[in-house]
Amino acid sequence: MSWSGRVFESVGKVGAFSARVLMDAFRPPFEIAQLSRQLAEVGNKSIALIVVSGFALGAVMTLHTRNTLVTFGAAAMIPAVQAVSFFVEIGPLVAGLLLAGRVGSGIGAVLANMRASEQIDAIESLSIDSFKFLVVPRVLACVIALPLLTLFMDFAGLLGGFLSEALASRISPELYLNRAFENLQWSNFIAPTLKTAVFGFIIGSVSSYFGFTTNKGAKGVGEAATNSVVIASLLIIVADVLLIKCIFFLFPDTAI
Amino acid sequence: MTISPNIAVQFKNVTKAFGEKRVLNDVSLHLEQGQVLCLLGRSGTGKSVTLKIIMALMRPDSGEVWVDHENLAGLSERGLSAVRKKLGYLFQDAALFDSLTLYENLALPLKRLTNKSKEEIDDKIHHVLLAVGLGSDSAKYPSALSGGMRKRAGLARALVLDPKILLADEPSSGLDRITASEIDELLLRCKEQHGTALIVVTHDVHGTRRIADRVAVLDRGDLVAFGSVEEVAQSENDVARRLIAE
Amino acid sequence: MPGRYLAVGIFIVAGLSLFVLGIFLVGNRHEAFSQHVLLYSDFTDLDGLTKGSKVRVAGMDAGQVTQIHVPDSPTSRFRVQMRINEQLHGLVRTDSIVTIDTEGVVGETFLSIHSGSPGSPIAPPDSILQSKPPIAISDLMTHGLGVMDDADATLKLLGGKLNTSLDGVNVAVQNANDVLVGLKEGKGPAGMLLRDEKMADQIRDTMTNVQSTTSSLKQAASRMNGIVKDIQERQLPEKIDGTMTQVRAASTEANSTMQLVHQSLNQALGPDIDGVTAAQNISETLTNVNAATGNMAEDTEAIKHNFFFKGFFSRRGYYSLSSISPGQYRRNKLFVNANGRRSWFTSDALFQPGVHGTEELSAGGRQTIDAAIASYGDAVFQHPIIIEGYSDAGGPADQLARSYNRAFLVRTYLEARFPFVAKNVGVMPLSSTPPPGLNHDHWSGVCISVTEKK
Repeated sequence: MSWSGRVFESVGKVGAFSARVLMDAFRPPFEIAQLSRQLAEVGNKSIALIVVSGFALGAVMTLHTRNTLVTFGAAAMIPAVQAVSFFVEIGPLVAGLLLAGRVGSGIGAVLANMRASEQIDAIESLSIDSFKFLVVPRVLACVIALPLLTLFMDFAGLLGGFLSEALASRISPELYLNRAFENLQWSNFIAPTLKTAVFGFIIGSVSSYFGFTTNKGAKGVGEAATNSVVIASLLIIVADVLLIKCIFFLFPDTAI
Repeated sequence: MTISPNIAVQFKNVTKAFGEKRVLNDVSLHLEQGQVLCLLGRSGTGKSVTLKIIMALMRPDSGEVWVDHENLAGLSERGLSAVRKKLGYLFQDAALFDSLTLYENLALPLKRLTNKSKEEIDDKIHHVLLAVGLGSDSAKYPSALSGGMRKRAGLARALVLDPKILLADEPSSGLDRITASEIDELLLRCKEQHGTALIVVTHDVHGTRRIADRVAVLDRGDLVAFGSVEEVAQSENDVARRLIAE
Repeated sequence: MPGRYLAVGIFIVAGLSLFVLGIFLVGNRHEAFSQHVLLYSDFTDLDGLTKGSKVRVAGMDAGQVTQIHVPDSPTSRFRVQMRINEQLHGLVRTDSIVTIDTEGVVGETFLSIHSGSPGSPIAPPDSILQSKPPIAISDLMTHGLGVMDDADATLKLLGGKLNTSLDGVNVAVQNANDVLVGLKEGKGPAGMLLRDEKMADQIRDTMTNVQSTTSSLKQAASRMNGIVKDIQERQLPEKIDGTMTQVRAASTEANSTMQLVHQSLNQALGPDIDGVTAAQNISETLTNVNAATGNMAEDTEAIKHNFFFKGFFSRRGYYSLSSISPGQYRRNKLFVNANGRRSWFTSDALFQPGVHGTEELSAGGRQTIDAAIASYGDAVFQHPIIIEGYSDAGGPADQLARSYNRAFLVRTYLEARFPFVAKNVGVMPLSSTPPPGLNHDHWSGVCISVTEKK
């Protein structure tokens, strides 16, 4: 089969896989215990990564923008620039990419390993729907956890920005907070945060697809992990473009 | 060959292929309740596939598979679930769930397939683990167990539902002889104490000679010999004779 | 297992808390959860103002423009609907002016509601506020300089004119008084009027009117401070312009009125052949005085809105309550009038401790005040009321502060409860010492004094 043929085939398979996730997510039985286990895996264990990167990124952002803004006499805009850039784009996108790296590879590797070591057959032999048992909770956990992690990222970035700015200009936290949220609209906050649920779905379903459908034994584990991260990250960035267009369409006043 | 009403598993002209490659070619065999059938054959000759077809993890392309007087082809998912409840499956590498403790690994089938109370489940797991010699390891994760212990744990999970038929995929592979014979002992004990029918995929001739009532030899998808150990040892088929030779 | 649920629970709760925090912080800016008031204003030129533009009240972010109704003909104007935070509503008075301003030199356009004068009532919800068209800065500079020159010249002119006019008022009042005294003593050509009770009443009323006009001068002067500040801070040349016109008209009218009064009184007091004619003369004269002083009341009201006359008024003894000291107040016969009715209240009867160590009116105190006001009857609404606050706790400064606070609490309550005209109700903090001659040497509480003439 030609190269493009294989690409279209993969797209079709991932699409069908994702559609099955969506349908199974709303069909009982619901694997609540599994969902909670995956939330702990995806959410709790990512907090440290997300908060530390957000904090560092926030500090760096302020270091870079500060000079330019001060040159134009817009020092008062520093908190607003920080807040808007984090809440609108940096927070959601970076949180999505970090999670694609950490969780996407994890899901890909774990599922591929379960496939290779016959654990998935073992689950099926218990008359448990392995798709609902393994895939759906992982995707749902990503969908739920990523918006929350994005919020951690946003506020950590704001904190990093504040500390960086406070060291330079001794700004008070109240003033920083006031200025930061002065230019923020509802649509700047809620829509970008919720769009990360779509990122979460991409991470969960793409990496589950690679892990769940591998049939190459132990060799497939590494391959599934790599594919998961690469494809999920790529799709997140592409989806981001579309989602931002959608947000602009729904909330025209956020587009300047 | 007469077929007694006490048949546990029966294959009637079963064929299974993956793409071009035929892994089972018109295979017919049967096993009576309380007997041990050892499946021999070179690697990649459809032995594991045979077990998975019995477990209804795969469907044959043609032919009939009867398990405990039920034709698998005619069963719904619910019916298959009922059949699977009578089966235990010891996977090649035990296939214990990495993310669950030993206790949780054993509790999962009980929780999913029975209506036992928490106390009954605890009690059952305790007994099964004692029986396989892992009484004190219930809180450990599979990664903390040695190869032999994993096999026992896998066996414990296969036995926890008191199956009428136990399927074992290379129970002694990767183990030293002593440990392997310990596993064989456990399998024999199942047969003797509970009248369980066993289908064991194995390369271990020594073990086969000890436990097998029946031996089936598969070669490139074909059933080349089927009968008692002696019958197979005197088979006309060269592969079968060589596999069973000590 | 329970540990895992706990961890997941903490993760979810923490994440959701951040979400709520974010919504709150964003929402705080946009006043989503606070009470709002809708107000309107009309503009011929929007200067780039759009739906969603900020609205500031006295420079503080208060809300946004929620709707702009586009006119259908060039003669009508844009109707702008703005939604402002209830908390800032108190600053928006009926005389507040709405302007369209620009942030910085190139910043965005926003609506600015300037806080009104304290004497005007709070602009009711859905009311239409006055607007002022946006001013180009260069226009403002040119215009402002010209107006200032103009104002200067006008003031010099007016200073002389008004001085004469008010001297005239004093003389007129003195003369009228003389007439009355003469009448009472049965002297003069109009002696027969003694028997005419109706005429005597009319004369008496007229005199009262003259007196209350002068006292209203004092009462209303308190508004002046606010307006002075307003004009100085905002430098609104248009407003100064308007005020100047007002002053000019008022002074002209006052001048001609006084001439009339002079003429009439001279006529009345002159030798006359016929007593009846003299009586009619007096009657007409007094009617004239009545009308003139009525006009005068309005005119002076207008004048007092202007800060230029502050010094002038105080020199002439027409005090604003806020500008005289407690000592001056105690000595002043006008306020400490034995004829006036006073109601004394102890602090225990009116107040209860409030939050942060302040005092607030108790429920019983409100009833007590209601009862006192009821006992005055309708007359209480037509006479100046001064609420004297007293306190004997703490040092002199504490006493002064607390006595002011007490008087202020009662005044606020009265204004909210009864249809008092704000300029008629004054407060006077007197520490612990009431004015002499009132049978109270020492007091802690409040005294409501109605400067009613008998």
